[in-house]
Amino acid sequence: MSDQLELLIDMGRHYAETQDIESTMIRALERITVLMGAVGGGLFILEGGEADGKLVCHASHGPVDVRGLTIPAGAGIVGRSVANNAPEMVWDAQNDPSFNKDLDKQHNFTTRSILCVPLSVKDERLGALEIINKESGDGLFSKDDLTLLQALAASTALAIHNARMAGELAEKEVMRRELELAGEIQRGLLPPPGGDLDPVCGVNRPARVVSGDFFDYFTLYDGRIAFTLADVSGKGMNAALLMAKSASLFRCLGKEDLRPGRLLQRINAEVCETSLRGMFVTMVAGVYDPATGRVVLANAGHEPPLLHGADGSFTPIGAGAPPVGIPPELTGGGPVGEVVLHLDGGALYVFTDGVTEGYAAGGAELGADGFQGLIRDGVAAGLSPAARIERVAAALADGGRALRDDVTVLVIDDAAAKAGRGAKTRAEARPAEVVSEAPREGVLCVLEVPARPESLILVRRAVEQTAVSCGFSKEQSQDMVLAVDEACQNVVRHAYGGRGDGDMTIDIRRENGDYIILIRDYAAPVDVSKIKPRDLDDVRPGGLGVHFIREVMDAMDHVPPPDGQGNLLRLKKAI
Amino acid sequence: MEINVSEHSGLKVVAVSGEVDLSTSPKVRDALLGQIQGGSGVVVDLSGVSYIDSSGVASLVEAFQTAKSRGKSFSLASVGETPMRVLKLARLDQVFIIHDTVDAAVQAG
Repeated sequence: MSDQLELLIDMGRHYAETQDIESTMIRALERITVLMGAVGGGLFILEGGEADGKLVCHASHGPVDVRGLTIPAGAGIVGRSVANNAPEMVWDAQNDPSFNKDLDKQHNFTTRSILCVPLSVKDERLGALEIINKESGDGLFSKDDLTLLQALAASTALAIHNARMAGELAEKEVMRRELELAGEIQRGLLPPPGGDLDPVCGVNRPARVVSGDFFDYFTLYDGRIAFTLADVSGKGMNAALLMAKSASLFRCLGKEDLRPGRLLQRINAEVCETSLRGMFVTMVAGVYDPATGRVVLANAGHEPPLLHGADGSFTPIGAGAPPVGIPPELTGGGPVGEVVLHLDGGALYVFTDGVTEGYAAGGAELGADGFQGLIRDGVAAGLSPAARIERVAAALADGGRALRDDVTVLVIDDAAAKAGRGAKTRAEARPAEVVSEAPREGVLCVLEVPARPESLILVRRAVEQTAVSCGFSKEQSQDMVLAVDEACQNVVRHAYGGRGDGDMTIDIRRENGDYIILIRDYAAPVDVSKIKPRDLDDVRPGGLGVHFIREVMDAMDHVPPPDGQGNLLRLKKAI
Repeated sequence: MEINVSEHSGLKVVAVSGEVDLSTSPKVRDALLGQIQGGSGVVVDLSGVSYIDSSGVASLVEAFQTAKSRGKSFSLASVGETPMRVLKLARLDQVFIIHDTVDAAVQAG
């Protein structure tokens, strides 16, 4: 027993010194063979499965070196021992049907007796230890020999098992460090944390080491600030790589001063050219002008950003296009529709669903109401924009649980800029940006979209959201959605003759208790006298649009456009 | 917007779902006219339609008139609240043959 103990200690020490399981196995086998008084021995390791794998000799001692010898799992006496997970004591090898005589012939050797024990830890089969021909006495192995070899095999198996575990741990450690490095590189793609005076700033808390979300912003040559926030489908490394690609495209193309709708169109084309199949990115891009408080926003399939007006109201701004990564030929192509907002001292929050679907303290989802509550409290407490979104991120980490999804929030806050602008804003606004001469008070939403059928869905969402926010019933809102859709169809089909090459602007506002929609195009003037609802008794396709508008709205007027160009239609409904 | 066509007792049931607007109504028109010109009576299942505008209604009217001129049956089934409101605005709820369910429309032939 002391020999066995000594062997164990020697194996442990050798492995600790060399960290090399191969040389430890060779050394152990040599000592075992000598200790057992055997002529030769071999240590076989099972590679692959128990059924379809193979047994490879890793250590050999004695007159014949069989290292590297490979036999199918289950074959020979070694294979039988492994397959049955039971020892084999063979006294007459030459007459055992499992014994392969080829080796003996090759090396001019005669195998007489064999003692073979499986190497296994719990249920995991690692291989087998085999010794051949006892040197002393009758050359046969005894029951005592078997007991001793089994004890030695148990120690050897444990040493191999531990070495493997240590190797796997080391490998996992390398992967973990690589992932951390990737996370670090990703964080480097995000802008640094916002200061208290920054009007635009963001926060990102990945749920795992790497994130599928990102945000970015930078100042353009004239003081306007380009910004983006996006959420890549899926998690893990491929999402992180697509995130890095999209972020780089925004940085690169964003500096070309493209309009946000065209920027998203370009990014989509680039992503689609090389996209990983089935992956997409929901993305918001915009430009904020601190000199006017104006934001031009384009949304490709992302969660509607939330406008928090200076009056305390919340308005979601819907998506205008499918996500980035869906091939343009499937969606009709063209630039993504844009919404023009006047923050007017308010703030715009762009965020991922990790925020509203995240767990707040208490374990319930934060939800849209919870998110709005945190913003409202932050404003009431006089927190800076950066501190406000930091508080939102902290609230989601508060539950003590791991984050459910990546949490990313971007804020564009116009309060400080508005204070600096004072009352002069309107006079300083560039003439090209003035949609009409009407006062800005009560502007709910302005959309600038290509006059194409695909833009109408964005118009409908804008009408639906603003009408509901004005207190119209669901039915009334749906009616007005139809009316505005019909009016825009007339622009697409008649004013531009279905060519799809022009733009239109839809300005939705609240004025003196009325809900007003101004639809502007830049086509040749339309002969107003020819526009009339048709006789409904005459059942034929077409011509229903104007009838719908008149039926639903309180008033429909063609008014002269401010600069005499194009057409301007004014729809009105009392709130 | 999606269109699925199935056959019940010799009639083609064209199930339309989603938003039927200026960008999608040409597909509805083509699908309906295709079935009628192929010699089939048609039931349009509108249960999945969440929105329909005048161009969508125009497609239904055109298909209805084509079917009539060819002596084929044409009816609407499972018209939801929103599309029904639009049909009423156009006073077409009195013009179309409208059934509560697809089964009723198929039985009526």
